[in-house]
Amino acid sequence: MKKQKKKAPKRKPQLVYSLNRDFEFFSELRDLILKSPASEKQDLLERINKLGKIKLAIISGIFLDKELNDPLAVDLFLAHDYLDRRKLTIFLKNLEAEVGTDVRFATMEKEEFKYRLSMFDRFVRVLLEGPHEKLINKLGIE
Amino acid sequence: MSKNALEVLFESRARIKILKFLFRNMTKNYTFAEIVNHTQEDASVVRREINKLQEINLIHEKAKEKSA
Repeated sequence: MKKQKKKAPKRKPQLVYSLNRDFEFFSELRDLILKSPASEKQDLLERINKLGKIKLAIISGIFLDKELNDPLAVDLFLAHDYLDRRKLTIFLKNLEAEVGTDVRFATMEKEEFKYRLSMFDRFVRVLLEGPHEKLINKLGIE
Repeated sequence: MSKNALEVLFESRARIKILKFLFRNMTKNYTFAEIVNHTQEDASVVRREINKLQEINLIHEKAKEKSA
């Protein structure tokens, strides 16, 4: 038996997958899949609370089925007293898996957020003036 | 709507994740490894679901085009 057979050059072409647009119920299925909420809010809230001492959690964009046009806009924003970065990384990776696409997010310490709020910082304005929902609001933000 | 109604309806969390991923990124093609990575599901489960979706002709498989 030839044991020292040279590494056969990989002949097998790499396969890629894509949706077949000619599928009978393509558009119906697309609507069904894409209109379902990206993630259940209650579930999201519980998971966010486990990330640390979160004082403000805001969802927007993909979680509300809204297009974000401003380059500063995010899908998820957290202001915190303490945030476990490791847990956040895992949380986001899982979240992106569920949502099926990248989640734009930003986090900052509570003090920084308050400061920016008092400054009418552009990022904060985009966040609070655009379509959004506060899952956690311990800062009494209107 | 109850929690994860679609997952219950479709009887597979992985299948829904795969479909969400593909529909949200409709114009692109993905390798098996990319789909596994994006869905964060077990490779064997993803393989099984992809095979099913191929059987009903919802997704197709083709050789990756060589770019350059």
